[in-house]
Formats: sequence, C-alpha cells, structure tokens
Amino acid sequence: MSSYLIGLLVGIGAGLLILAVTKFRTRNRSMSVAEQAEFLSKRRARMLPALAVIFLAQQASYFSTPATTAPRPVDTVKISAWLVLSIVLLAALATKGFWGHSREVRNLIDDENTRANRNRAMQSGFLFAMGAGVCVYITTMFIPVTTREAVHIMMSAGIATALIQWGYLERRAYRDA
Amino acid sequence: MSGARTGMPERLANRLKERRTELGLTQAELAERVGVTRKTVNTVENGVFTPSATLAIKLAHALDLSVEQTFWIEP
Repeated sequence: MSSYLIGLLVGIGAGLLILAVTKFRTRNRSMSVAEQAEFLSKRRARMLPALAVIFLAQQASYFSTPATTAPRPVDTVKISAWLVLSIVLLAALATKGFWGHSREVRNLIDDENTRANRNRAMQSGFLFAMGAGVCVYITTMFIPVTTREAVHIMMSAGIATALIQWGYLERRAYRDA
Repeated sequence: MSGARTGMPERLANRLKERRTELGLTQAELAERVGVTRKTVNTVENGVFTPSATLAIKLAHALDLSVEQTFWIEP
C-alpha cells in the first residue's frame, strides 16, 4: 500500500473520529430542541473562522508545490482533498447544515437571523470570487495561469470570504449590547 | 418630516427588552415562544437585525403588545 493511500485513509479516519466524538458529546446531554439549536449554533459560530483558517492553509500547501510537468500522486491527493473540502463547505453554506440532526433542530438553527447572515456571507463570497476572477484575468496578461489555478483561486476566494463573513456575523449576533 | 423624506438614516427601535423584563422572561424563553434561537431575539433587541413582518408580529403577540407598541421608526 502506498504511503499516500495510508495518509488519505488516516485523514478520513481522523475526520470520522472527530465526527463520532462531536456526535457522542451532543447525544450525551439530554437537551430540548431549543437548547440543542443554541448549542449547535454557538459551536458553528466558533467553528466557521477555524474552518476558514484550515481552508486557507490548504491553499498555501497547494500553491507552495513546485510546478512540475508530470503530476505526482501527492498532487492528485491534495487537489482531491481541496475539492472535497470545497464541496462540503459549499454545501454547508448553501444548506442548513447539521445533516445528522433532526429536522426540528435544523429548522430552528436556520432561523431568520441565520438565513440573513448566511445570505450576506454568500453575497460577499460571490463578490470576492468575482474580484479574484478580475485579478486572475489581469494576471494572465503578464504571466501564464492555468485554468485549474484560475478556478482554484476564484473558488477559494469566494468560499473563504463567505466563511469568514458568516463566522463574524454569527459571533456578533451572540454579543450582548 | 420622516427620515425617508429628509434622507436621514432610519432605524427600527423596539421595547422588547423592557417588556420581556416586565414579564420576567429570558431571551431563551421568548425565543422558544416565537420559534427562533436566542441569537435572533438578541439581535432584534440590540437593533442589529431588522425582523421580517412575520417575526415582528410573533414577537409582539408573545409579549402581549401590538406591533406598533413593540416597534417604531426612529430617525
């Protein structure tokens, strides 16, 4: 078995372990629907900036890789990991998230203020993605940029901005006057 | 003259906190009554978030007030 496959399996295993621990921690407490929604909503507010940092750190790892003519297996793993994380984050941004919880809890978490915050974050994400697109377009006049790099930059700019903005708005919403 | 006519910024003021305290309710209890999270009640109380007409009516009813008594526009 190659070391890359082992690394990928270890990564998936760690992710599943984190999911199991968080699920166990939530299940262990006998909470009402409102309390569960409050607990999960606060956790999301803390997690969003952390996810943005992880996502951005992944970009550094991607762009620090020296350009080679032949793609190496490790590059494929990196790109796949980035793509999977991007899809998961996009799904979390576009839907109510917390897929493992009951509909009642999910509906309560996604209340009016959360929807407004999420929409504002998506709006900022879209604008930053478009801004990144303009920057990439100008850059191509001076240095060559591959299609994959351009898509990568635009998607990353959009998703990271939306995550940071949503995290900021959610944290602000919990602040008392 | 209203703020909209003069071009002055307007904000939606409310007496949610005052009335909630009068009734001895916590933010969480009020939130549960109207079916939102405590965060939403907190942002409406602080004037950070302008609620929809539906939520404004629900909040006013939960506090035994009319919408006009609960919310008003301040220039």
